[in-house]
Amino acid sequence: MSEEILSIKNLTVDFGGVRAVNDVSLSLRKGEFIGLIGPNGAGKTTIFNLITNAFQPTSGEIIFKGQSILGKSPDQICRLGISRTFQNIRLFPQMTAYENVELGLHSTPRYSLAEAFIRTPRAARIEAETRKRAHELLEMVNLSQHANARASSLPYGLQRRLELARAMATSPELLLLDEPAAGMNEDECKELVQLIRQIHNTMGYTMIMIEHHMNVVMDLCRDSLIYVLNLGSLLAVGSPAEIQNNPDVIRAYLGERKNGRDNAHA
Amino acid sequence: MGYLIAIVILCGINIVAALGVAILTGYTGLFTIGHAGFMALGGYMSAIMVKELNVPYPLALLIGGAFAGICSFIIGYPAFRSRLRGDYFAIATLGFSEAIRLLLNNTRGLGQSLQDSTSSFGQGASSLLIKLGGAFGYMNLPNVTNVWVVVVTVALAMFFAHMYVTSQYGKNSIAISQDEVAAEMMGVNLLKTKLISLFISAFYAGVAGGLLGFYFAYLSPSLFTITKSSDLLAAVVFGGIQSLIGPFITAFVLIGVPELLRTFAEWRLIIYGFLFVIVMIFRPQGLLGYVEMNFSFLGRWWNAIFRRKHTPSQKG
Amino acid sequence: MELFIQQLVSGISIGAIYSLLAVGYALVYSVYNFTNWAFDAFMAFGAFIAFTSISSLFLPFWAAGAISIVLTIILAVSAEKLAYSPLRARKAPRLFMMISAMGVNLAIVNIINLIYGGTFRKFPVDALQPIFIGNVSIGRTDLVAGGISFVVLALLWAFLYRTRWGLGVRASSIDILTASLMGINNNGVAIVVFTLTGILSSVAGIFYGIKYAVYPMMGMVTIKAMIASIVGGLGSLPAAIVGSMILGILETMVSGYISSTYRDLFSFLFLIVILLFFPNGLMGKSVEEKL
Repeated sequence: MSEEILSIKNLTVDFGGVRAVNDVSLSLRKGEFIGLIGPNGAGKTTIFNLITNAFQPTSGEIIFKGQSILGKSPDQICRLGISRTFQNIRLFPQMTAYENVELGLHSTPRYSLAEAFIRTPRAARIEAETRKRAHELLEMVNLSQHANARASSLPYGLQRRLELARAMATSPELLLLDEPAAGMNEDECKELVQLIRQIHNTMGYTMIMIEHHMNVVMDLCRDSLIYVLNLGSLLAVGSPAEIQNNPDVIRAYLGERKNGRDNAHA
Repeated sequence: MGYLIAIVILCGINIVAALGVAILTGYTGLFTIGHAGFMALGGYMSAIMVKELNVPYPLALLIGGAFAGICSFIIGYPAFRSRLRGDYFAIATLGFSEAIRLLLNNTRGLGQSLQDSTSSFGQGASSLLIKLGGAFGYMNLPNVTNVWVVVVTVALAMFFAHMYVTSQYGKNSIAISQDEVAAEMMGVNLLKTKLISLFISAFYAGVAGGLLGFYFAYLSPSLFTITKSSDLLAAVVFGGIQSLIGPFITAFVLIGVPELLRTFAEWRLIIYGFLFVIVMIFRPQGLLGYVEMNFSFLGRWWNAIFRRKHTPSQKG
Repeated sequence: MELFIQQLVSGISIGAIYSLLAVGYALVYSVYNFTNWAFDAFMAFGAFIAFTSISSLFLPFWAAGAISIVLTIILAVSAEKLAYSPLRARKAPRLFMMISAMGVNLAIVNIINLIYGGTFRKFPVDALQPIFIGNVSIGRTDLVAGGISFVVLALLWAFLYRTRWGLGVRASSIDILTASLMGINNNGVAIVVFTLTGILSSVAGIFYGIKYAVYPMMGMVTIKAMIASIVGGLGSLPAAIVGSMILGILETMVSGYISSTYRDLFSFLFLIVILLFFPNGLMGKSVEEKL
């Protein structure tokens, strides 16, 4: 058993009277890959936002590599080794695909400001290394031929892969994927599953993935655990087979549909 | 001929200040309408250095720039730290530059009120403040800014601005201007990156202020009104977002053409106003938006005009 | 003590004028999330229309005021239609919205400057004699200006909270997209918001003109209103009023007890202190961005 890398304890957050996340605890070992599923509004993305400190929890603890990361700014958390993608894609729209990936590599500049102005040989060498690494990452997500395309001009599926490359560029140890397959068709999903599995195997990241495509989740998590969230609380944890047969989970998903119908009538 | 040289000098000085605004507004996405204040701070500081302390002129310009840069933190730090975006900062720049102008307008009164001070520091401050001349201006500065000084300064300013915006620091600024939240999540330190941009930007304005004082041989608060700030902003808006060569050209045109056509002066700001709106609606990227200084756009124009290269249609 | 009471009354009156401006500014900010830099131009425009109606057309004060309000509404709504809504339609970044607003401001202020010149003019109404209570003299202009400003604010409140149109504006300020999905007409809301902006800026312009003077750059005072709404908390109407009152009173105290020269300097230092210690304003909520 390898060491624990992330541990979330009794995490709770209220948004003006609404409890978006309620007493959630989970822990991850280094290199583990888990899936996070649940009906809409279950608080999945909120947990990602709490881990990256887009906002502060009402109570609870988040411990990453043995230290509490509560109260650290998002950029500090990124430097500690947590990176993410976004449910609503947030690339830098006017920058090229290459520049988007490059940003992840140099968001903490690797030479001094003085060197920036006079571009010393050392700075030039760092720039060259950064360039090489950015192209390697683009290669890894099969975007090499689009390196110079403006990010906003890329098709949706490619934008998702570009976000993945940009997140990898910050050299994370923990990678949070927020619906990487959203809006993709069956074939694209299969490709994505392969890509994510390959990245997980070669890069050794610990990963949490939020996903609605059940095929994608069941496939990627076949050797690991799936956490199910409902109405802000943890509903079930288990292997894909256990989750698929868990009556609570089935009720949560069906219940959502039933409520939806009720609302439509109201 | 002398008249043309005067125009070149004034254009050059304004280009330096406009490059400062380009770094801040064009590249970092922070809206400023108070750069005249930084020009005033740098101008007065370098004038004091030369006139009262006999500091050599080029060094005095740098000190003036650095002073403006450091003062910019007075608004930069509180505004950037309060994580609400652009608007606070824009309001603060306007307020700051007006406050500077008010202070400079009243230096005589301030100096006179300190005259009875017993400490030697109070005495010194009092006599310096009276010398600054309040609304009448700080007179009899050495007239040392000539066309060569300006040309060299513009060349250096352009070079260093280019180095900055193509560096890792500059590229982080661009990311902030496009999506602040994503930039922060990807590890960009927002406060630090914005403060660096602001410092450089104010430094440029400060140097321009110094050049101006040593060209006119005097400085007065009336040189640094909101009109000056609007002119600088206009150069960047028309020249283009994320471009240095664009504001360089438009600063030249915006300062040079009105100087040549004096009767046009009253209409200038009215036309700028309408153009701001028209540019934002029809060509928000400005004349040469997103065009870097490597002149690759000439190649693209060549292709567009002579080769008629087919551009693939966009998907998605 | 007399001085204190005099300054307090004067401060409340100027605070009321700031409130009109700050509320107009906060209204646009809360619905459209950008700083309407053209607000000061609307204000100067309103003041000059009233000024011209009285001094050249010899109209009575109330008629001049009505004409000013109507024309300022037309100006504000046209600015929205021509300069802002095309940008909103294609979801332009806020920076572009601000630049466009700055353009409207530059054009209008400098047209006024071209027509009237930059001089300060006295607003052509007879000076009202101050009222004396004991030794305390209270400017009647202050009372009128303060009084009418409060009436306008009360009417605005009633409009926003007691009418269907007001409900539409409030809904849009929470989430303009959801509001439009729920059947609220976005164009209608825009017209209502900028009509209110026109009324507020015109009334503020007239009273500011009476209290001080009428001149093309008079709109620079809106920076005080912006400071006031930051002090209160950006984007909230009650906070804008509270901020305006605090700023108006503190400012008048500074000019009464120290010197009017440093009044504006003080306002600005106050802004910096607030930003440092209350980054979201005294009453503001922290704004979370949706990811």
